[in-house]
Amino acid sequence: MSARALLKLEMPAQAEALKPMRDALIAALRRAGVAAPEQDRLVLAVHEAACNVIRHAYGNSGEGRIRLTLTRQRGYLRFALRDFAPPVDPKRVKPRDLGECRPGGLGINFIDDTMDRWCLRPIKRRAGNILVMCRRPRTEGAAANSGGAGCGNADGEQVA
Amino acid sequence: MNDCKTELEGEFALVRVSGEVDLSWSQSVRKAILDALAKARAVGVELSGVSYIDSSGIAALVEGFQNARGKGQKFSLVAASQPVRAVLQLARLDRVFPMVDSVEAARA
Repeated sequence: MSARALLKLEMPAQAEALKPMRDALIAALRRAGVAAPEQDRLVLAVHEAACNVIRHAYGNSGEGRIRLTLTRQRGYLRFALRDFAPPVDPKRVKPRDLGECRPGGLGINFIDDTMDRWCLRPIKRRAGNILVMCRRPRTEGAAANSGGAGCGNADGEQVA
Repeated sequence: MNDCKTELEGEFALVRVSGEVDLSWSQSVRKAILDALAKARAVGVELSGVSYIDSSGIAALVEGFQNARGKGQKFSLVAASQPVRAVLQLARLDRVFPMVDSVEAARA
């Protein structure tokens, strides 16, 4: 199912690009009628996902690009974060035990706590990975769940 | 505007952080905290002017806290803003850090 994009953004995989991405995302969420506290949670989750791409997928090289697409599908906000880095093993990307007090590794927990569902897939045949995160916004008048937004075949890409 | 300044008063150091603490400069915050811990017996990190913090910023605070605890030093977060508190809560660290409302309480 195709849906009109609420936001389409392409940025360099650099930490300095995170602030403009957050600003664009919060503006798009505001236009979409998402409540302020929820905007903050969603922006943090997407920011953390982009940080992981910069740090881990691209290895902090300062090279590469990230494409963010936000759509609304069947009442869900669907965030697709596409990179062009070497394939990442999805099995290695999982939340950690928050009972351990140690620096680092919190980003996936923020994503996992915020999103209703998410999945990371390498893209078949073409370089890169795609992380799709879906959240049904807790706003009045949100559309009823009619099966949820899919996580596969995001942005027309064939995923492995 | 992002800023990080350290004020040293005797055995107490106050690291004042403001702005949006993210991956682009959280290493500077980390370094300021660790430098303060090397110079003072007690360190407070003042966060009232922080409007955004990500996991790399939280990691800088956790590293400072662990470093201080390992050396028997006092470490506290001072006047943490609502955005900081929200992320600490999300990371389930809001009850781990000593949090105080004023610089005087951190110094005491």
